[in-house]
Order: sequence, then C-alpha cells, then structure tokens
Amino acid sequence: MKIEPALLSLKRKSDEPGGSSPVPNKKPNSVEDGEEDLIPLHSLQITIPSSTALALTQPHHLMNTFFPPMEDGMEAHIEVEKPTPTDSHLQWSQWQLIDSILPTGGFAHSFGLEAAIQARIISGPEDLQTFVIHVLENTGSLLLPFVFSATISPDLETWQKLDRTLDAMLTNEVGRKASIAQGSALMRVAAAVFSETPSLKSMRDTSVGSGVVSFHHAPIFGLTCGLLGLDSRTSQRAYLFITMRDVISAATRLNLVGPMGAAVLQHQIVVLAEAILTKWMDRTVEEACQTTPLLDTVQGCHAYLFSRLFCS
Amino acid sequence: MKSDGKVVVEKVGGRSTVTRCFSKYPLKFIIPNKVGPSKTDAVWIYSLTYGGGIVSGDSISCELTIGDGCATVLTTQASTKVYKSMGSKCSEQALEARIGSDAILAIVPDPVTCFSTARYSQKQVFRVVSDSNLVIVDWITSGRHESGERWDFDLYKSTNRILLEGDLPLFLDTVLLERGSIASIAERMQDYQVIAMVVLFGPKMKHIQNQVQEDVKKIMSEQLIIPSTSLGHQIMNKSKHYLMKPSFVASASVFGPKGIGVVVRIAAMTTESVYKFLQQQLASMEPLLGVSPYR
Repeated sequence: MKIEPALLSLKRKSDEPGGSSPVPNKKPNSVEDGEEDLIPLHSLQITIPSSTALALTQPHHLMNTFFPPMEDGMEAHIEVEKPTPTDSHLQWSQWQLIDSILPTGGFAHSFGLEAAIQARIISGPEDLQTFVIHVLENTGSLLLPFVFSATISPDLETWQKLDRTLDAMLTNEVGRKASIAQGSALMRVAAAVFSETPSLKSMRDTSVGSGVVSFHHAPIFGLTCGLLGLDSRTSQRAYLFITMRDVISAATRLNLVGPMGAAVLQHQIVVLAEAILTKWMDRTVEEACQTTPLLDTVQGCHAYLFSRLFCS
Repeated sequence: MKSDGKVVVEKVGGRSTVTRCFSKYPLKFIIPNKVGPSKTDAVWIYSLTYGGGIVSGDSISCELTIGDGCATVLTTQASTKVYKSMGSKCSEQALEARIGSDAILAIVPDPVTCFSTARYSQKQVFRVVSDSNLVIVDWITSGRHESGERWDFDLYKSTNRILLEGDLPLFLDTVLLERGSIASIAERMQDYQVIAMVVLFGPKMKHIQNQVQEDVKKIMSEQLIIPSTSLGHQIMNKSKHYLMKPSFVASASVFGPKGIGVVVRIAAMTTESVYKFLQQQLASMEPLLGVSPYR
C-alpha cells in the first residue's frame, strides 16, 4: 500500500507520451481513471517476492523493485553486509563503556602521579612515560586477573568472591578507596545505562547495603563487559585503556604535559601497552601480584599531601 | 606439605615453651634459652641455613605453631643470601604459621639479598584468629650493590597471606620482580636500593600501629613539596636538596575489618636507614618480647 504514490507518479510519467491521444468516454483528470490505469502496475507488484515487499518500506529498495534484473542480487548482497543488531549494538555499548564522558569518576584519580610529583619521583615531563608504563604494568599484573575472571563468568557468586579477594589484596588504603569509589560509581551507572542486561541492576540491588561486597572497580568492569558480551581480551585491553586515559588526563591537569603532548604520548605508548596486555592477560586471581612496589609506596603517600587536586 | 622444619610453642607451667622442634639440612633452628630478662615470656628462634645462604634449587619449608597466649620471635643472624642460579632453577622458602588466641608471633629477619641472576620465591601463610597478634617484616635489598650488582637478579617473588578462621582472606600480598618485564627491575626501583614491608596485626599491636602511622605521616609530610610554589622558590635559593628524591619513602595503611591491621611500605636508598626505622618503630615491643628487635 505504501508504494502507491510512487507507482502513481511513475505511471504518469510513462503515460505522458501516449497520454496526449484522447480516449473517448474517459475523463482524463478523474481519480477513477487513474486507478484503472494503475491496474497493470499493481499486477507487477504481485510478482515481487514477499521478503522484498517487506523491504520496500525503505526508499532505496523501492527503486530496486523497478529494475527486476538487479533485484535478487541486491537482496542477497544486503543480507550479507548488514551487521546483526547485536553486533552493532555491542559496539555502541563498548564505546560508551570506555568513553570518558561516562560518569564513573575516573578523573578524580591520578594513580599516584600527584604524590609522585610532590615526592620528586617525577621531576619533569620526560619521567611521565616511564610512570605511565609502570602504572600499566602494575595494573596488568594486579588487576587484569580480576577483570578476566569476572568477564568469563559474569555471575553474582564469582563477582562477590572476586570483590572480597581484591579487598584483601589492595593493601594500600589510598588505592583501595579509589577502587571502591570508581567501582561503586561504575556499578550504579552501568545498572542504569545498560538496562538491556537487567542482571546488572539485580546484582547491584542484591548487594547494596548487604555489606558482602565493597564494589571494587576491576571486577565490576569485568562483570559489565561479560554481561554486555565483550570477549575477555577486549575487556582486558579496555581496562588498560581507561587506566592509561585517566593517568594521562591527570598529567595534563597537573601541568606535566599539554593536551597535544598527552595525545601524542597516549598513542606512542600503545605498542608497550599491548605488550603488557599480552604478558598479563588471561591469568587467574591466584597469580595476581604487584610488580612495581615503589609505585605502591608512593601512592600510599597521597594521604599525606598537604594540598591536592586528586582523590588518589 | 613436606616439612624441613617444625616448631611448636605451647604454654607449659604458665610459660611459652618449645614442645617440639625439628629441622633438617639445609635448615637449622637455634633456640637460645635466655635472650631477654627472665620475667618476659617469649621464645626466640634463630633460623640458619648451612653455607650462610640459599643455594640454587634449594626448597625449604617449615611450620610454626604458636599456642594460645604464647609469644615467639623468628629471626635471622644475618641477611638471607640467595646465590647465583644454576640454569632456570628457583630457590624456594615456605613458611606456614598458626597463631593462637592472644598469642604473638614476630617475624623480624634481616633482609633478603639476591645475587646477580638469582631466582628466589618465598611464601608465608599466617593463620590467625581475631585476637592473634602478628608482626611481619619482609624486605629485600638490590643485591651486593657495593660490587655493582643493583637489582640484577632474575626473579624475586614474595607472597604473604594472613587468613582468618575459615580461610577468610584478611591480607593478600605478592610482590614479583622479574627480569624481562616491560620495564627492568632497576628502572622500576629508580634510585632505591631497599624495598620493605612491615605488617602489624592484632589488639596488642594497637599502640605500635598508632605510633607508626603518626611517625610515617610526620616523616613524609616534611618530604613532600608542592612543585609550583615551594620548588621554584628553592631553585632560586640554589638548594639542590629540594630537587632530589627523598632517600626514604614510606606510607602506612590500615587493612581488615575495623582496621585491625596496619601495613607500612618502605622504599629506601640505604639498608641502614631501614634498620634504624625498624629499630625505632618496634622498640616498644620490648616488654612483650624481652628484647627490642633489630638492636
């Protein structure tokens, strides 16, 4: 039914050459006349396969309808190239999860950078790259096992166990509190945003106020990735990405590097970051360890800073 | 677990007494009768290894059981040397300790020193109840740095676990320093030659916990400078001191339910500065142990 106006206009154009010849007993401008003339074209529509007829609701398919030799080929081609709704939707979710606009409070944390500057462990921009690599390696060895385990089994029981283990493993109070702050925020945001996975909200509702979980960041990130359907390698890479994003962002706000320099640095580190991912991914929680104890000591000093921009 | 050494300390006639002691090559325990004044009730155990260190491929495990109300100190007479590794063999030390109610266990060794190419792995598991008391000092130096060996070993791994009844994890920590990582060990340690950790757990440690937290905060507050203001000012004063890294960095954190534990992490440029810190901070344990550790 929707194709009628188009058929009508087509009919009129094709009719024009012969339309000049007067036909007796017919009023050229009457509506009835037009409907009668359309009958042959309606019969043409009947020959269109039903699957194509459904596709005709879209304008570009409509045109194909009138070039019968292309029709079948086009139809098959479209079926192959069109991504499935779940794939395309997953990509949108994935981008949103790692987007800095997602209000998880990542930008309140410098991962010890602010303390390292005040302790003169970092004395200039040239030390920043080394610092970022050390943060990434420690994140890889200590936290990726939690992201990995939560991604591959995103259920309540696994998550709660991982959360308790990580709480005992984050022995540095500054880092522990930062992990809880970011994790709680991510859980709240993810439960509200990714409403198509209701288990996020139900897990949060079950756990809030129960005292059973502390809401540490890495397991919640892995849990969210797992429930959204990200593969474990992607979720672990994404975790390193957001860590790198937040440290470098902190460096710009601490005036260690300009925004352009920060962007260049972020891209330069990619090769090493991928090497860190390859080295530490897919490990069990039993293998989780600290690889840069100096960093942990310095980050713990954050609480002693007299004036500070960041929470950690 | 196959044990190379086992010590059981129990109350006998109201005093902490070694009721079982066994060790085999290459491990040896020396338990002097009189370390402190007779009025204090504590057993001191010196752990020795033949040859003065750990040889490539050695695997030493021991068990300690500290009965309710007993006090025990486990220490060494000199740093634990880990000699060069032969091939890919790793030397291992494992300790499994049970600490009873109202009991005290203090693990106060000298540091581990890994020679170049050494491979060393250490795992200590402490099973406690809510009113057990525990002191763990775990530390490593960069190696024989007077001979130019600085963070030149192949592998160092140290695991410390404190588990409450029912295997509930209270404190889980593993430090891994391995050659061939993305960044070298020396690069990760910068100019620091010693990494140390002090864990203080339990109700009898409360006053030491409070003291150490206050002291660490005081030490570090003097070291930390806001670069934009004071640092610029100091450069004008030509004072290089303010551009240098602090030679001693420490931070203290509470852990566990109701902050029952405190952990202090230290990075220092000299071994002596860490000995001095440990001696000062643990001095108030003298009434409990008879002698102050690291004296």
